Amino acid sequence: MDMSGLNMLAGWHGAGDIIMIEQMPIMGGYTGGPEETAICDVAATIASFALFNCDIHLDGPIHIRWGTTTTRETLQVAAHTAMALDYNTDLLLGNQYYTLAGPCTEMCLLETAAQALVDTASGRELLSGVASSKGTVQDKTTPMEARIMGEASMAACGMSIPEINRIVDNIVSRYEGNYLHPPTGKRFQECYNIHDLVPSDEYLETYDSALRILSDCGIDF
Amino acid sequence: MAATRALTIPDVYDRFVKGKKVSVEEWDYKITPGNLTALKEKYNIKFEPDQIVPEDKDLCNRLFQAGLEMLVTTGYYNQDLGRVMHVTEEEVWEGIRKTPTKLEFGENKDKARFYPRHGNSNVKPVIQGGPTGSPISEDVFVQVMQSYAQEGIVDTIVNGVMTTIEGHPAKTKTPYEIRATMAELRAVKEARVRAARPGMGV
Repeated sequence: MDMSGLNMLAGWHGAGDIIMIEQMPIMGGYTGGPEETAICDVAATIASFALFNCDIHLDGPIHIRWGTTTTRETLQVAAHTAMALDYNTDLLLGNQYYTLAGPCTEMCLLETAAQALVDTASGRELLSGVASSKGTVQDKTTPMEARIMGEASMAACGMSIPEINRIVDNIVSRYEGNYLHPPTGKRFQECYNIHDLVPSDEYLETYDSALRILSDCGIDF
Repeated sequence: MAATRALTIPDVYDRFVKGKKVSVEEWDYKITPGNLTALKEKYNIKFEPDQIVPEDKDLCNRLFQAGLEMLVTTGYYNQDLGRVMHVTEEEVWEGIRKTPTKLEFGENKDKARFYPRHGNSNVKPVIQGGPTGSPISEDVFVQVMQSYAQEGIVDTIVNGVMTTIEGHPAKTKTPYEIRATMAELRAVKEARVRAARPGMGV
């Protein structure tokens, strides 16, 4: 925490705002491996409510090497943290999405779907995304990624945890080999007609192809 | 000992000011990793490689206890003051009890409602669509946000970061930063109206 953060919190409380605190632990940094990072994530999430008086928390464990939330290790941190809090409190929990691949690629959609399954199954109340291309490249994010996040989440609701684990393992194994050379995808202006605001035929075909892969992995859309 | 009440932001500031002076290097390289490793061993926290989502409730409960102990015994760091504040377990629970368990985002027919799902409930989470802080060009900002607002599966909006304002880079700690922020808010409002969902929560 810094003084700017405390001052903003004081102002928002005075205004009666609903406050969401965002906090993204870096897996592989000062906090070490997945287990240590999850302990830190639980501690920081609790602190966001008990010390800083937020109303809902937005998580986002990030992999130090890849800068994404969709790796096997960061998904594991997020899921364990959420379920530890879910079993012991009624706190409202969210998670955010940072993919390695860019829009209009199957990998970007598969990364998003894998995380949506994990977040939904681990009891989170809010899914927030998607910052495609690690959220760092100008205009490389589109609503089609948010659409797959929602559709995958709906499909995952109510499934058993062992089944979710089998499906997520299958999905992640299909994209984790591409980390060194991920598809960079296209900008919003290339994916959408910016007058009518409809997605391109190319993106719709890519989306359908990703849905077929996800169905092969075991998701019933 | 029972807590007097849940902590407020001024309480937290006062405790930071009176807290122990610690260098950022000692906090980052020694205190944080050292305490995390000790708690991992104390509570026997070990993840199963084939379980991205945990199937062992006891492990989850031990992880919660480890996190709670981490916060209470290690405290929280203020990087501007270079000091650490502490909180008791009772104060933590008082703060959790004070937190609302139900929330409403937005207005009228566009309102989204939050309440605890607990486990893999049949009720879907709230879907918040948007660039999530990604850089977005000024000239397409409204169109980008409108395209999220028009998605039927999206319940609430999270905006991107407008990279320029009136052609100037929205550089931090300059007047352009706040002008860009205000422009983002106007653009998101316009985008929601264009998508016929003016009450969507942001």
